[in-house]
Amino acid sequence: MRQIAIYGKGGIGKSTISSNLSAALHEMGHTVMQVGCDPKRDSTRILAEGKFIPAVLEEHREQLRIGKDEYAINLKNIVFKSPGGIYLVEAGGPEPGIGCAGRGVLTALQILKDLKAFSTYNIDVAIYDVLGDVVCGGFSMPIREGFAEEIYLICSGGFMSIYAANNIARAVQRLAKRGDAGLAGIICNSNGDEAFEHAFIPAFAKRLGTPFVQFVPRSPVIQACELGGRPVVEYAPDSQEAEIFRNLAKAIIENDSRVIPTPINDLAELETMYRQCLVKDKK
Amino acid sequence: MGQEPIKEMAGSSTSSSEACTDPYLRCAFNGAALTALGISHSALLAHSPQGCEYLVNNAFASQECDYMETMTLCTKLCVDEIVHGGEDILARTIREVKDLPISALFVLSACGPEIVGDDIVGVCEALQPEVKFRLVPIESAGFRGSQYDGIDIAMDTILKKLVKDDVEKIPGSVCLVAPHANANPTWPADLAWVKQVLFRMGIKVVATLTHRTPIAEIENIASAETSLLLSHDAGQKAADYLSATFGIEQVCKGIPLPIGMTNTQRWLTALGDRFDILKTAEEIVAEGERMVMATCRRKWPMARFMYRTPAAIVADATVGIPLVRFVTEEMEMTPELVALYTSHRSVWELLEGELKSLGLNPKVVYGTDVYKTRKSLQEVRPRVVFGSTIERHASEGLPVAYVVEVVRMMRQFRMINREYFGYTGILNLLECVQNEWVMGWRSKERRYEAKW
Ligand code: SF4
Repeated sequence: MRQIAIYGKGGIGKSTISSNLSAALHEMGHTVMQVGCDPKRDSTRILAEGKFIPAVLEEHREQLRIGKDEYAINLKNIVFKSPGGIYLVEAGGPEPGIGCAGRGVLTALQILKDLKAFSTYNIDVAIYDVLGDVVCGGFSMPIREGFAEEIYLICSGGFMSIYAANNIARAVQRLAKRGDAGLAGIICNSNGDEAFEHAFIPAFAKRLGTPFVQFVPRSPVIQACELGGRPVVEYAPDSQEAEIFRNLAKAIIENDSRVIPTPINDLAELETMYRQCLVKDKK
Repeated sequence: MGQEPIKEMAGSSTSSSEACTDPYLRCAFNGAALTALGISHSALLAHSPQGCEYLVNNAFASQECDYMETMTLCTKLCVDEIVHGGEDILARTIREVKDLPISALFVLSACGPEIVGDDIVGVCEALQPEVKFRLVPIESAGFRGSQYDGIDIAMDTILKKLVKDDVEKIPGSVCLVAPHANANPTWPADLAWVKQVLFRMGIKVVATLTHRTPIAEIENIASAETSLLLSHDAGQKAADYLSATFGIEQVCKGIPLPIGMTNTQRWLTALGDRFDILKTAEEIVAEGERMVMATCRRKWPMARFMYRTPAAIVADATVGIPLVRFVTEEMEMTPELVALYTSHRSVWELLEGELKSLGLNPKVVYGTDVYKTRKSLQEVRPRVVFGSTIERHASEGLPVAYVVEVVRMMRQFRMINREYFGYTGILNLLECVQNEWVMGWRSKERRYEAKW
């Protein structure tokens, strides 16, 4: 089973990329499970016709309340099939203001493993859509515990998204030494400044020592699909955007690169690199 | 002489990569438990994993609680409570014991629940109407500091939550603060000596913060005219609070605790001065000194042959600072290393004042850990160490002939409490030195080392 984790800054479009990637992989014939690893539990909405599905940790909390444990959870209550045939899971999180969401994500993943969710549904590609940034050690647990083996970073031309991607690369660098996890590539989800992004993001990927996998343009078609609660390959199968996601799925399936990244440790260096590219772009 | 003492603050002398820095002190959770368990007719609920609860057991032993009277409970948190928070299990546990015949339940939080945001204060407030006793939440996660910080945290909560301010002052009265922040393993004997002296002087003890203290005494603390801090390591904050909030004057402030002849005499005189009973103080001093000298004449301890021997003192500030004078004056040794577990400013000031007045210039390490102690012993190479079992191991391979175990971090079984404060305290300390000296002669190897 391929275990692919999508990391990136909050709001950068991880859920959009993950969901459309899941749909494209499913179209290629893979049995895909998308696991949202964000307490907001909104990762799978696009695949679930805009609906929120119940989360693993909600169900877990219910079982604890009645004095039972995770083994009392029925897989049917936490794994849902999208109308398109993709398996959907949301890890969820503790109630706001209490508990540890990072540890919660790991607990949810462990519950899926303990209940043999992947083999029960014959999953061959699991996509983990992991909360925005590496906000605390808890959110790097899917890497640490070996759930996420191939890590893709999503970023745009915005400096903060690059900064977050670099930070996540630092976490991957730290954790990759422990096991099989490695950085597999960078995906650009454009914020509209395409010329700059084409110039900077491949160079940034090179600096991290990882492939630049795909450029996803800012597009009204993708936005319309999001609003409609359906992935692009289903909603607009003949569009150019659908082709982009098919290419992304193909590139990911064919990509066997896993590297220990070489992130930029000095923020000033990252800023200089960014500024230099910005100046060239304006010229 | 003439040079400034070498000062090292916690963490200043070694980088973390250089060595393991084992602390001497336990965490704040332990200090809070130690304080809460000093209140009688109450129970303690550790909102913690069961590993932390071990520290409650340790505090239980240190406060000499009786398991027939004092109950300890634990929520035994596991990963589920880290993920979802442990407020539910805390509430459930409190409800389960709601009919306990006690006056207060102290709820202490450890690191885990505080990291994930459990609001023990909120839970206790919500459940207070349902239970028959006072709920006293103490936010005492171990990461808040050492056991001394935990003692301060717990005393602060207890004072703010329980003390009534509408009480009449009792003339000639005192509140004893932090007797348990004392590395003498049988510290209740020190407290007992203080109480006995106060009784003889006609000073009324309103409350002890804390040791076998009924809640009613805590509630009544504001009636004390003075406070008497029995530790140099913790409790100053409580004494300051009592002074600022209830006008309770701190006596014997800034002088070493009564260990050794001069310290005891100075401390008793300060008390006598404040309460206008100098004559009684002088009588106690005279009797005590006579008793010590008569005993020494009869028993004649041979350890007096350690005259001018280079010595090291490794202890908490409570025992360690007064020991400097004891070692110098009574034992006539030369302190060449003073390593204290604590490092706050009042400890600095007190120790430096003592060193100056004794004309000593030893190496001084504040906030020591085991590694720094070992390095300092290697550097100073004393012949005698006043410390604990830890220093016995830390000085292996060094030419340390005697380790006088006056503060024992490791447990050693003792049925009878022995004070270091006061005049019998002097004899107890002399006994420790004498026995160590004798033990040296019992071992062939150590005898050789001791001799040559
Ligand atoms: S430091 Fe924290 S986790 Fe460790 S024993 Fe103390 S309270 Fe428990």
